[in-house]
Amino acid sequence: MAESETPKTRRRPLVRLGIFLISHSLLVSVVCCTAGVLALLLLPVLAKNTYISENALMPGSANAMLSSEDISEAHRFMNDLTGLNLKTGETGIESSRLIARYMSDLGADVNYHKFHPQPNQFRPLHFFSNSDSRIIQENIGCSSHGVNTVGIIRAPRGDGKEAIVLVTPYNSHKIDLAEALSLAIAYSVFSLLTRVTWLAKDIIWLAADSKYGEYTSVSAWLRDYQTPVFGDFEKPYSEICYESNACHGLKESEITERKISDVFRRAGTMAAALVIKVSDGNKQADGTLSIYAEASNGQMPNLDLINIVNNLAVHRQGLQVKVEKLLSLLDSKWLRILGEVFESVGNIARSLNPQWKFGIPAADYMEGAATLTSSLYYQALGVPTGSHGAFRDYQVDAITLEISPKVALNNKIKQTEFLQRGGRLIEGVIRSVNNLLEKFHQSFFLYLLTSPSKFVSVGVYMIAFALLVAPLPIVAASLYSDANKWDSSLKKHDPTSSPKSADDERRNILRSWKWLYAAKQVFIIHSWGVIVSLLPYLICQMPNWMSKVLTWLILGSPIIDADASQSQKREWAILKSVTISAAFIGLCLMSVINFATAEIGALLLVPMCLLAHPLRLDVRAHSLKAFTRAGSNLVLGFIGFPPAAFFVLKGSFEGFESVNISDFWNWIESLWAWNSATYLYIGMVHLPCWALCIWILLHPC
Amino acid sequence: MGSFFRFTAFLLLILSATHLCCNSVAYGSSSASSSSTTMHTNNWAVLVCTSRFWFNYRHMANTLSLYRTVKRLGIPDERIILMLADDMACNARNKYPAQVFNNENHRLNLYGDNVEVDYRGYEVTVENFLRVLTGRHETAVPRSKRLLSDEGSHILLYMTGHGGDEFLKFQDSEELQSHDLADAVKQMKEKRRFKELLIMVDTCQAATLFSQLHSPGVLAIGSSMKGENSYSHHLDSDVGVSVVDRFTFYTLAFFEKLNMYDNASLSSLFGSYNPNMLMSTAYYRMDLYERRLEEVPVTNFFGSVMETIHTVSAYRAPSGKNSDKDKIKLSLDQSVGLDKRRTLTSSNVQDQINNSNTKDQLGVFEHLWCTFLNKAEKIEDVDILVNYGLVIMLPLVAVFTWLSH
Repeated sequence: MAESETPKTRRRPLVRLGIFLISHSLLVSVVCCTAGVLALLLLPVLAKNTYISENALMPGSANAMLSSEDISEAHRFMNDLTGLNLKTGETGIESSRLIARYMSDLGADVNYHKFHPQPNQFRPLHFFSNSDSRIIQENIGCSSHGVNTVGIIRAPRGDGKEAIVLVTPYNSHKIDLAEALSLAIAYSVFSLLTRVTWLAKDIIWLAADSKYGEYTSVSAWLRDYQTPVFGDFEKPYSEICYESNACHGLKESEITERKISDVFRRAGTMAAALVIKVSDGNKQADGTLSIYAEASNGQMPNLDLINIVNNLAVHRQGLQVKVEKLLSLLDSKWLRILGEVFESVGNIARSLNPQWKFGIPAADYMEGAATLTSSLYYQALGVPTGSHGAFRDYQVDAITLEISPKVALNNKIKQTEFLQRGGRLIEGVIRSVNNLLEKFHQSFFLYLLTSPSKFVSVGVYMIAFALLVAPLPIVAASLYSDANKWDSSLKKHDPTSSPKSADDERRNILRSWKWLYAAKQVFIIHSWGVIVSLLPYLICQMPNWMSKVLTWLILGSPIIDADASQSQKREWAILKSVTISAAFIGLCLMSVINFATAEIGALLLVPMCLLAHPLRLDVRAHSLKAFTRAGSNLVLGFIGFPPAAFFVLKGSFEGFESVNISDFWNWIESLWAWNSATYLYIGMVHLPCWALCIWILLHPC
Repeated sequence: MGSFFRFTAFLLLILSATHLCCNSVAYGSSSASSSSTTMHTNNWAVLVCTSRFWFNYRHMANTLSLYRTVKRLGIPDERIILMLADDMACNARNKYPAQVFNNENHRLNLYGDNVEVDYRGYEVTVENFLRVLTGRHETAVPRSKRLLSDEGSHILLYMTGHGGDEFLKFQDSEELQSHDLADAVKQMKEKRRFKELLIMVDTCQAATLFSQLHSPGVLAIGSSMKGENSYSHHLDSDVGVSVVDRFTFYTLAFFEKLNMYDNASLSSLFGSYNPNMLMSTAYYRMDLYERRLEEVPVTNFFGSVMETIHTVSAYRAPSGKNSDKDKIKLSLDQSVGLDKRRTLTSSNVQDQINNSNTKDQLGVFEHLWCTFLNKAEKIEDVDILVNYGLVIMLPLVAVFTWLSH
């Protein structure tokens, strides 16, 4: 015994710590998981105030120059636009021509950009490779194309290397008042910027034809902007369609249309993009500015961009800024209680030491939590919340500003006031971005918002996730070592096996490789997950009856496989250990791609994986502990199933009466259509891990 | 008896005062190296703006305003080295192309006419700055870009930019450290490139930049103490940037009232800085500087030498008579200044101004001391002077004791 003591003391402290953690894995996992959930709940309290990190921006340091002439011009423009609706039924080309004429009257370079809506293509690896596979469509006729109108102001003394983009989506078939207002705001700013001397970056105004969706038009324009085509191999359809439109252009008086062309015009690299929208005003949000920032796969624009908009809107234009929040959370009782608990803890801490200033009022906590949840959800979804998402794919920082007027904008005075406010806000943001010398890089890219002026940075929110996933490798290691120990102790009690040393050796080697069987199982299930996640793609490619057969075959395959598994006694422990390892790897990988998905996934997956225990053993044990474990296992197994999780979450936030079976399919389809990494996560990490956990629950032992 | 003691004490005081005076004479004669004996021959100014980028507009405006001031007060363009790290006037973001303002009223265009920028843009580096100070240039560098000062020069070195604890940032890429500056000044001293040097720095924690200076004849003013920031004065909401820093703004405000014939002293300049207005504490380092600030007109640094020096022959140093006079005056300054030094360095500037009220009284003493010292000068040995003094004391003691009885 003394001999075995000495090498133990010689072990390195790190190894000793590891062994200590593994031997107390139950305690460690309970503590870590609790701490992880608590840290997540504490995030609204830990949120910091935003600050403008980049010195060059200097928002609000210059007076707004937007004059009443610009406004009245914009008003005239707006009237002309809305007048078109009355005149002709088919305004598609008329409206874009009107916009182009107004643009070129201001002295801007104008061109039309024709595009075809692209059908949604599933490209699972889209977020890894940015290389654009230009898809040539043969079957689309000239009739079904949209026309974006693009105006460019060249900076008089700038170097023409950089540009700021303004986007106003509008429906060319039917321009409603809100869209006309957003176009008018952009026009007022645009007309001002043609006169100013301080521009250092070119200004691009993209009046995007949202006939086929806002995102489609903007992303089509961006694709053509970023990938210039040289030579004769231009898009074939543009050649055909050019003829029909060229005659339209020629009919116009050539003096005014001189600067308007079909040639694609470019400015420099984009420093930032602002999507301007005006909401209809019938919502409850009055006199507010909503900021939408989430792009695909939870990517966010630089926080500085949100900061300057927030700063200018609040301090200059007196608008109330808000970001999306989960309204139903504001009514929840338990959140209020939690907020009050945190508040009282903060008060106690402050009474002990006045310098400890954490703890916020319960109402603030609830607001913060609701915003944080929505921020987390929209990032996790991986679907852009607006057409600004198209810019993020080209590493351009972009946000959507949705301004809602205070009152119904029917009379002219109200409209003028609204245009002035909106225009000055946009002007201020542009002037601030114009001061920028480099790309946005100073502030955060990885953050969650808890209010327009408060954020949680990556350094803080990572802690919650790290605590949640920390027990996974520890429990996996402890399960593995326990299974090995159990085997060897079994052998010691068995007197017959002791003399044969050579046989024992072989068996030892075999035992140490036993995890390979479990790994094989896990691998098979995961490959099944891959096939399931590729299913929609395969279905699209195949004839109808075959796809149905294939679907049932694939979905049913793990059940067939499960029968064949050999039922050794401690097999499930090894299997659980490998499952947990796989879940750990999957979650960590996902946290790199889309943190929010990994966080929500970890909340579902970690307890399920950690608690998984064969039901048969629990039933046999006849103890309260075993029964509670079996019960919670069943609940977690139910919640862990993706559709069930979706319905439970949707029901709890929006009420169960609104839940529909087709919702889940729509939801999955939207994830699939937007090339979200979350879809891949669900198919390739969550679903296989859930299946494995269910397998462990049903393990015959 | 009491009165006897009083008189003895008085005597002792006189004795010690004499001794002090002797010391100071000795000190003056020994440490008065060639530089302090030389005449003030000319004035130079090195004005440096070290920061790039549009949002640092104010630093360029600071430097250009000072450039304009020293030019107005008489330093010719050929003796001003102007270093500007960026070109704000032609920046695309400038609402007024080719114009730079230091005030939101836009009354004065600093970049109007006759602005000679010697080092511009990326030429403004720590290396070039040190080369200018120490005079170690490549052979191809034109005379207009060199600091061609001599041992009688008064140099004004003005720097503005972003700084920190013991450093000043150049061009967003490199730093000038306090050691570098002190080393350059020491080299200048050894190479007899200046007689007196005034370093004026407007950055955050400017005081720390002077901590390593050791060379005599250097006077340093910084806009802020260690741990303090220097703030901009106001924002021009038309141009959209801050246009001037507080320290420089109040310096300029002081000089606006002056013309080149004014006799305002350095101490009145230093006294004009109000910490509440600056939002930082201006710091002066004058332990290396020999003259009393009340007696040094600001035009000694910010203006130029007005008098022409008459020399008998073109290639000889200024005549002995002149230099003698200068020397005497200098040592006199010291003898007066020595007992005041402690208060000078520790008390604030307000006291110094009060001190200048006693100037008239001092004038009478000055004459007495002058004749006395003239005699002392003739006596070769200092010890003999002391002995003479003691001998004179003895009859005095006798007379006073007799009188008191």
